[in-house]
Amino acid sequence: MSTRSLTGLSPSARRLAAFGCIVWCFITLFPLYWVVVTAFKTPPGVVGGPTYIPFVDFTPTLQPFIDLYQGIRGEFFRTFLNSTMVGLSSAVIATAIGAMAAYALVRFEFRVRLVSGLAFFVLALGGYLVFNATLGLTRPQSLLLAFPIALVAAILVNRLPLPGPILGNEDILFWFVSQRMFPPIVTAFALYLLYTEIGRMGFQLVDSFIGMTLCYVAFSLPIVVWLMRDFFEALPIEVEEAAMVDNVPTWRIFLGIVVPMSMNGLIATFLITLAFVWNEFLFALFLTNAKWQTLPILVAGQNSQRGDEWWAISAAALVAIVPMMIMAALLGRMMRSGVLLGAIK
Amino acid sequence: MMRNDPIKHLFIWPAVLVVLAISIFPLIYSLTTSFLSFRLIPPIPPRVVWLGNYTTLLQEPRFWNALFITTLVAVIAVTLQYVIGFAVALALNARVPGERLFRVGLLLPMLLAPVAVALVARMIFNPTMGPLNQLLTQFGFPNLPFLTNGHWALGCIIAVEVWQWTPFMILMLLAGLQTLPEDVYEAAELENASHWQQFWGITFPMMLPISAAVVFIRLIESYKIMDTVFVMTGGGPGVDTETLTLFAYQEGFKKFNLGYTSALSFLFLIAITVIGTTYLVLLRPHLEKRR
Repeated sequence: MSTRSLTGLSPSARRLAAFGCIVWCFITLFPLYWVVVTAFKTPPGVVGGPTYIPFVDFTPTLQPFIDLYQGIRGEFFRTFLNSTMVGLSSAVIATAIGAMAAYALVRFEFRVRLVSGLAFFVLALGGYLVFNATLGLTRPQSLLLAFPIALVAAILVNRLPLPGPILGNEDILFWFVSQRMFPPIVTAFALYLLYTEIGRMGFQLVDSFIGMTLCYVAFSLPIVVWLMRDFFEALPIEVEEAAMVDNVPTWRIFLGIVVPMSMNGLIATFLITLAFVWNEFLFALFLTNAKWQTLPILVAGQNSQRGDEWWAISAAALVAIVPMMIMAALLGRMMRSGVLLGAIK
Repeated sequence: MMRNDPIKHLFIWPAVLVVLAISIFPLIYSLTTSFLSFRLIPPIPPRVVWLGNYTTLLQEPRFWNALFITTLVAVIAVTLQYVIGFAVALALNARVPGERLFRVGLLLPMLLAPVAVALVARMIFNPTMGPLNQLLTQFGFPNLPFLTNGHWALGCIIAVEVWQWTPFMILMLLAGLQTLPEDVYEAAELENASHWQQFWGITFPMMLPISAAVVFIRLIESYKIMDTVFVMTGGGPGVDTETLTLFAYQEGFKKFNLGYTSALSFLFLIAITVIGTTYLVLLRPHLEKRR
C-alpha cells in the first residue's frame, strides 16, 4: 500500500485535503438527504418553500408512503416486484454463464479463425436477405433460419486449414467486452422490432419476463466476463492441478473448487450486475409497457402524471434508491478488503 | 497454464450464444432496415432507399445539434469527473481523517438509478421550492432559470453527470494509486523533490495508463446519456439539450419512423467508433513513451 505520496504533507495541506473531501462528501450526500426529507413532508410543507430539519421546521408524515403502497400513483408494489424478479433472475443467470465463459477463457485455449467469424456475419446477413427478399419469408423467420445455418457453417469453416489470422483468448475477451461499446439504442430499438415480429408469430417477448431477462443477461455479460476473468486469474492453479492428477472431471473442479474459492468475486459481480439491471432505463422503456414495467420507468413517469407532486416523487425515488444504498454498504465493505482491485489492472 | 478439454465448449457457448442472439440479430435487423423507408404510423410498406436515410440525416441540423450537445456533455462532464476524482482519490490515498466513512458515502451515487437521480435534481434545481435557489437568493442572485433556459439546463445536466459518476473515477483511481511502487517516492524524497514535483514527475505519469482506461470507459458511457436528460428536461427547451439517444427515441418511438431511426443508430455507432479509435490513437504514443 503506497500511502506515501501525501503522508509527508504539511499540516495545513493536510487540512486542506480533508476540507476538500468534506466539501465533496457534502455535495454527494446533500441531494440524498433532500429526497429522504422531502419524502416525509406533507404537500403544503413542500410548496411553502424549502425546509430542512424534521420536527424543527416541518412535521414529518408517512402519508406519501401510504399513498405509494395503496397504488394511487401507479401499481408501485407490483412494479417493485417486477424489478426484483427480473433483476435477480438476470443477475443470477448472467453471473453463472458469464463466470463459466470467463473460466473457460482463463484456463482453456481457444483458436478462432478470423475467416470463420467473417463467414458467420456474411452468411447470417446474406442468408437473411435471401430468405426474406427472394423466398418471401417474414423477417423473423428468415433471421431464425439464417442464424443457425451461419453458425454451423462458421464452425465448419473454423475446422478447415484456411489461411488468415487466428484469434486467441484475448481477442474473444475483447469481443465480449466490446459489446459494451455499442450505443444501447442500436440494440434496444432493433430488439424491440425483433420482439414485436416474433410476437406476431405467437411467441410474446415484448413486455414479458423471458424477453426482459434475456435482454438483460446479454446486456450484463460483458461486465461479468471482464470482472470474473480477473478473479479466476488470481486463483492459485496448484489445487486444480492436484485435482486433475486425481482425474476429477472439469465441471467438478469448477463447481467444487473454483467457485467456492472465488465466492467473494462472484458475490461482488452479482451485486454489480444487479445494480445495473435495477437501474436500467432504456431497454425497459422500449421493451415493456404495462405488465412487466420496472421501477425506473414508473419513477420516471411520476413527474408528468399530475404535475410535480414532490412528496410523492421523493417517496417513489426513495423506494428505488434504498435497495441500492444497502448494496453500496455491502460493496463498500468488500471494496475495503481489496476484492475489486484486480478488475482495474 | 492452458489445458485442452472438449468440455471447454460447454463452458463458453452459453454466453457466446446469448450475446450473438441479442447483439448480432438486432444488428443485422437494423442494418437492413436502415436502407429502407419504413414507417409504422402511418403504415407504409417498406421500400428500398439505399443510403437515402443516411443522406437525409446528415443534412438534418437536428442531428448535428444532437451530436454537438452529446459531445459537449460527454467531454465537459468527463473532464470534470477526472479532475475532481483524481483530487479526491489522492486525498483518500493520503489517509485523510475519516477516510473509511468517505469511501462508503462516496460510492453511493453511482449505484443509484439515473432516473431517480434526475428527479432529485429537478427538486434541487426547482426555482420556487428548491434549496439551491434559496441559497443563491441569500447571496443576492435572482431566480435562475435552471431548467428552462438552454444553457443553464445543459449546465445542470453536466452537473448531475459529474455528481453521479465522479465516484466511479475516485474508486478506480484510488485502486490504481494503491498499486504504485513505494521505492520511487523514497528516491524522490532523497532528491528533495517537492510534493508538486512528485505528483507531476511520478504519480501522474505512472497513473496515465489507468487514467486513460477510466476516461475511455466514462467517455463511451457518457455518449449514451439518456435517462438523466429524459427526466430532467426531456431534451428541451426546444432541442437545446437533446442528446443522440433521445433524438433516436423521439424518431423511433414517437413517430415510428423505423428506417430513419435505424440509420440514426448506425450513424451513432459509427460516431462512437470514430471517437473511441481517435482517442486510442492519440493516446498511444504517450502511453508507450512512459513505459
